[in-house]
Order: sequence, then C-alpha cells, then structure tokens
Amino acid sequence: MSTASGRATPRGLAEKVRSIRAGQRAAIARAITELENGLPSAAALSAALESFAGRAQVVGVTGPPGAGKSTLVDALVRECVSRGRRVAVVAIDPSSPITGGAVLGDRIRMGAAGSDDAVFIRSLASRGHAGGLARPVRRIVDLLDAAGFDEIVVETVGAGQSDVDIASLADASLVLCPPGLGDDVQAIKAGILEIADLLVVSKGDLPQAERAERDLKDMLHLRAPCEGWRTRVLRTSATTGEGIAALADALDTHRAEVGAGRRHARGASPAHADPQAELRGFGERDPWQQHTAIRFVEGGPGRATMSMRVGREHLNFNGKCHGGAIFSLADSAFGLASNSHGVVAVGIDTHATFELAVGEGDLLVARAIETSRSARIAVYRVDVTREDGSRVSSFTGTVYRTRRRHDGGAPEGAA
Amino acid sequence: MDTPPKILITKIGLDGHDRGSRIVAAHLRDVGMEVVYTPPWQEIPAVVKLAVEEDVDVIGVSSLATDHLIVPKLMAALREAGVGDVAVIVGGIVPDEDEKALIDAGVARVFHPGAPLGEISSYVAAAAARVRAARFPT
Repeated sequence: MSTASGRATPRGLAEKVRSIRAGQRAAIARAITELENGLPSAAALSAALESFAGRAQVVGVTGPPGAGKSTLVDALVRECVSRGRRVAVVAIDPSSPITGGAVLGDRIRMGAAGSDDAVFIRSLASRGHAGGLARPVRRIVDLLDAAGFDEIVVETVGAGQSDVDIASLADASLVLCPPGLGDDVQAIKAGILEIADLLVVSKGDLPQAERAERDLKDMLHLRAPCEGWRTRVLRTSATTGEGIAALADALDTHRAEVGAGRRHARGASPAHADPQAELRGFGERDPWQQHTAIRFVEGGPGRATMSMRVGREHLNFNGKCHGGAIFSLADSAFGLASNSHGVVAVGIDTHATFELAVGEGDLLVARAIETSRSARIAVYRVDVTREDGSRVSSFTGTVYRTRRRHDGGAPEGAA
Repeated sequence: MDTPPKILITKIGLDGHDRGSRIVAAHLRDVGMEVVYTPPWQEIPAVVKLAVEEDVDVIGVSSLATDHLIVPKLMAALREAGVGDVAVIVGGIVPDEDEKALIDAGVARVFHPGAPLGEISSYVAAAAARVRAARFPT
C-alpha cells in the first residue's frame, strides 16, 4: 500500500488525491487515519481535497443514548442505496475518559448496510472531545465528500441536551426523540431540539410514539422557520420499516430547498463553535502542561482558568514551590486565553512577580483575562492565587496574533 | 502524537462461543486501545471490508470450534484487498499441528487457553506499533 502511505512528497500527495477521488476504499480509509491521528501529512492532504468538497449532503444524526441512532442509520442508508446513491457513514463512539480506550460498536448495529459495496462506514472514537463529535470529523467529512459519496451520514455520540456541535457541520440535522422520555415541557426546552431540521420519533411502533409526535408538532407551531425551512416531525420504526422512505423523501426535499455543503459557508469548525472544548483540547495536547500537572478548569473567548496542585516535583532546593512552576501555570492560562479566538497567538513578552512562597500540597489557580486586543496584538493579565485567596503571583503577557487558524481553515485575508 | 492502536476483534464461521472475544475486547479497551468488536458468525468478505474501511492495525480472530481452519482464507482475502500488512492473531482452541499451518499462512501469533490478558495486550500493542510504523513512515 505504498500509494496510500504517509509520505508527504508532492507526487505522493497527488497520487493519494487521485486514489481518493477515484473512490478507492483502502486509500480513503488510510487517509482518514492520517486526519484522525493528525499526522504531519494531514494538513496538506486536507488542503488538497477541500476544493473537491461541497457536493454531498451531510446528514447529522443525534439523540440521547439508546434512541436508536445506529438502527435508524442502517435503515436510512439502505433506503438511500436502493435509490442509487453512494453513502458514507461516520459513526462516533465515546472514548473512556480514564484509559482513552473505546469499543466501537455502532457499525455492528448497521448490519445490512455495512456489507453493501455502495456504503463506506468508518467508526471514530471521540477521544475526549465534548459536544458529540470527534475533533477531526469536519476534515474527514470533506475527504468523503471529495471521494464522491452522495450522502454523508454523521452519527454522534449519544447526546445530551446541549450537544449541538453537529448543527455546524450538517446540512440537515436529524434529532431522534424516542417516545416516553419526558412531558411536553421537555419539548420546548432550548438546546438539542432547536438544531433539528427533522425531528424523528424513533421506535414509532411503541404505544407512546403517537403522543411524542403530537407534543413535538405542538412545539413547532410556536417556532418560526429557519433559513426558509420549517422543521418537520416524522415517525419511524426501523423494525417495521414505517416512515423510512418518508424520511429519505424529506431529506431530498431539504437538499432541494436548502442545499448541500453548507458547512463551508458557515466557516467556523465545530470545535471553534465550542471554545470551552477547544481550549480543553489544547491543554490535553500540551505535553508541558501534562508533565507539570497543570489542569484546565474553565475558559472561553479571552479568558482561561488553570490549576496546579504543588507536588514534590515542583519544589526548589529550599523546599518551596519553584518560581518556574508558578510561571508555567500562569503562562499556560495566558496561552489558552490568547488562543481562544480561533487564530494562533504566540507569546512575545511576559512579566511575573512572586509575592508569596507556597509549598507542597497547595492548590494554585491562575485566572487569565484579556485587557486589550487589536487585530495583531493582545494583552492579558493573569492572577495566580492559593486556595485561601491570597495572591501568589501577578503576571502580564503580550501576544502576536498570527494569520493562521487553529481549525486549519483558510488564513485571514486569503482569497 | 501518541494515538491509540485500532484493533478488530471478530469471529468467523459458525462457532458462537463469544465469551473469549468479549473478554479480550474489553481488556484491550481497558488498556487504552480502540476496539471494533463484531458478534460471531461473520463472513470473510464482511471482515475484509471492515478491516479496510476501519484501517485497523491488528485483527484478532477468536475460534473455539475449528473455525481457525478458515483463517488462511481470510489471510488470502486480506492480501487481495491490499491490506496484507495488517497483523492477524488467533486466540482460542487451536491444536498444535494446526498452529504451524496458521503461522505458515501468515498469522502473526496464536494464543491458547490460559494465555494471560496482559501478555495478549502487550503483544497486540507491539504488533500495532510495527504495522503503524510501516504504514506511516516518518
């Protein structure tokens, strides 16, 4: 498989793009691994493929755990294949927050669809990324789009009420609402139900399904259409096949009226739509923060809070916490706060005071806030305090804001 | 960056004894691997399609009732599909005289009843690292 290997020569890249565009299964799968694992060759590959993407309809499927997402995807995919389409499925399962391991079982529930040659299924582990998706999923969707699939179905991790990342990726978002989960007040809450283009009452053969369908329809009377599309409610049963053809019809109508490839017009990546998750991810990928046991607490645009419990390894020869350790904590908060706007920011100057000696066992918290920001320069103040509130260090830092974006998207000012 | 190995645990043929494959799959998950697990009764073309699309590093085939004899056919099908570089291990009840045939067919390792889980996961981790290094040279 030398054609699909990770070497980043221009010739190798062109060959790889050709194999992917020709729909070669092994080349597509190998390239997904490159993107999933963020190999050095990934950025060039994504850039080379992006211009071919934008034709496929991306269908997001989300809903609570056990709602029947994989079962519905199986039935829907088979329906699409019977209409002559080529379909790719990206199924995301949770990673263990403790070991990082995962059992990827969604595709097993997609029994019949999985063995069809017109179908390509790839399972991804969420790898600690919150929001229902996995970090590189947008690039993977672009790749599958460039490979010529007509429909790309993205099945999220079993979602909670506020896991809404899928909406920024999908052209059409399906939210599954299995019957019997709540009363009509559930139906008017903000969050996941709001992102639905199609609300699907799954397990439609159960007795309470009719009631769930009615509650959702009542809710929709109160809502204005969005981008010209009025959310529809459908009832499906993957067991009896009821409603599956109607669901595929509704997706076709949505494509005709609203279009495909809308993620490109929206610009922001799912990760950037959720800065908290993006900042947490930065901390998890930062070897120095891992090594020094600096933890992400909270963050958002222009701010970040980090903590560090002083251990033996943080001490100096005097038995007190080393100034370098305190500086690292403040600098980490500074780094995350300044990188919270989607563009890569690099530190160019810092100053720190040391006002209180702290020792082993003390919990230190650093809070960074933005004091000014222009197009290229931003300034941050970081207060480091001990658990009892006493000030340990005052830190100021200045960054240069580059033209590069964290999501690998087009740099600012590019045509 | 360190990324978890990706492993397929499956059973081919008519043998339905899946306790062993479940235990191994759960153990590999617990040591931090990403495991694609299938129920028993898989057919070779389905396993090959799955291995290609998921781009797994290692395939573990569990066999307790002579289905290990199908594994050489699986090896040939994997090579034909262009993924002959995946490491295939077999676990379960494999008579000594058959083990040699499996190794000759390209199987990397056979684990017999009583193999400690830690030994299996150490072997799988090393095999996955070798496959990855060959696939994505730096």
